[in-house]
Amino acid sequence: MINIDYIDNLPSILDLKVPAGETLNLRICAFSSLQDTIINVDVDENGYFNGVLADFTDNSFKFIVNISLKSRGSGCEWHAASLAKNKTKKVFEPSVTHNDTHQYALMSNYGIARDESELVFAGCSEIIKGAKATNTRQEAKIIVFDEKCKAKASPILKIGENDISASHGAVVGRLNDQHLFYLESRGISEEQAKRLITLGYLKPITNYFTDEKLKERIVESIEKGI
Amino acid sequence: MATLKIENLHASVKGREILHGVNLEVKEGETLALLGPNGHGKSTLLACIMGNPAFEVTEGKILFDGVDLTVLTPDKRSLAGIFLAMQYPSEIPGLNSADFLKASMNARREKPLSLFQFYNSLQNAYKDLNIPFEMSNRNLNEGFSGGEKKRNEILQMKLLKPRVAMLDEIDSGLDVDAMQIVSDSINEEQQRGCGFMIISHYARLYSMLHVDKAAIMINGRIVCTGGPELIEKIDKNGYSWIKDEFGISIDKEQDAGLNNVSIGVCATREATK
Repeated sequence: MINIDYIDNLPSILDLKVPAGETLNLRICAFSSLQDTIINVDVDENGYFNGVLADFTDNSFKFIVNISLKSRGSGCEWHAASLAKNKTKKVFEPSVTHNDTHQYALMSNYGIARDESELVFAGCSEIIKGAKATNTRQEAKIIVFDEKCKAKASPILKIGENDISASHGAVVGRLNDQHLFYLESRGISEEQAKRLITLGYLKPITNYFTDEKLKERIVESIEKGI
Repeated sequence: MATLKIENLHASVKGREILHGVNLEVKEGETLALLGPNGHGKSTLLACIMGNPAFEVTEGKILFDGVDLTVLTPDKRSLAGIFLAMQYPSEIPGLNSADFLKASMNARREKPLSLFQFYNSLQNAYKDLNIPFEMSNRNLNEGFSGGEKKRNEILQMKLLKPRVAMLDEIDSGLDVDAMQIVSDSINEEQQRGCGFMIISHYARLYSMLHVDKAAIMINGRIVCTGGPELIEKIDKNGYSWIKDEFGISIDKEQDAGLNNVSIGVCATREATK
């Protein structure tokens, strides 16, 4: 198993290879700043790539992830949680290409847009002809907090093969009024109810990190950000 | 003894009036059975008392201990001592049950509970309601069965110790054993001095509790109040006698809050009306 961890200081271009039968964990935590980034990952036969990004930065960028599942039996997961605030514009394009049979991919993106920020999740999962018995999912969910922020979730599927399983899901919306009411009816203030629901929404990203201190720092950043 | 007093309450959802002037009173320590056919405003009344933003109170007052609740947010109503066990409790993704319970218990205390105090009372409450303690680590109501959700509502009532609790069809979805557990908990709270307003369609739950009085709601109004004998009368005869005795015709069930959408109707247009 190969582990690569970045706490801030992520290079703008990252080329990674997952050798046959190997697992690579890439864990990125961005607290202070993140620039335009391209991450290219090639995954060989029966190799597995786990990518995680927790982003709490306060700057604009375009973040591209291109995962190429090269050979039979390879797979990947991408989990991202991002908090966009002030006037930042954050664009995420996490994409995967299935080039061979019996592959698996899950691309999952959760975000919160506040103030006048703009948050975009627009990844593409592509299955080329012949990549049979492949299973892919692309999902994006964004909670919109304020009137002036913009959010776009557009998980795309490009499918060139019939014998596959593929799904995508997109949700963009405000906090559910009835969820807030339920919490408030138990004496919890509106502000704290919003905080609890939002925390519950982004906190699962900590499951993909192992360092306990880092997990705490992520939870603190979520709490601070909302 | 505080009194929950509803005076001439009118309430609407999406511009349509559901409650047309409700008058009702429950004292702390007293239990009221709220009866009536489906879709005639019982749940709406409870939701309005708790302050559900889906309903708009257009006229009248909800007084508790002399304070008008209509101007208070739901959290303030809860802190004043009102509790609503909901008919359909929300599932909140990602929110840990124990975190939620701690937040709601601490909301009514100046000094937060110590971890020991909190887990102690939590464990006791889970035990009393025969819910596995592991469920406190699950997301709030997410993936709970109907019966588990209802027991979870009663668990919250026990932990929050309200002065007047409103139970909206708490017995639906409960098996016989769970019904006994839930009614035991309600009995305990009655002993403590909590007042109750209880909606149920079945005499069974009421028969397991001490009920002081009953009220019947039809067409968004209270048409009849009386003692617990009303429960038995309705259980035996249904509601048709109301028409003969009071000259009130029972309107058909109102689909409160639902859009008038069926095949051939543009749902988007209906939703934006």
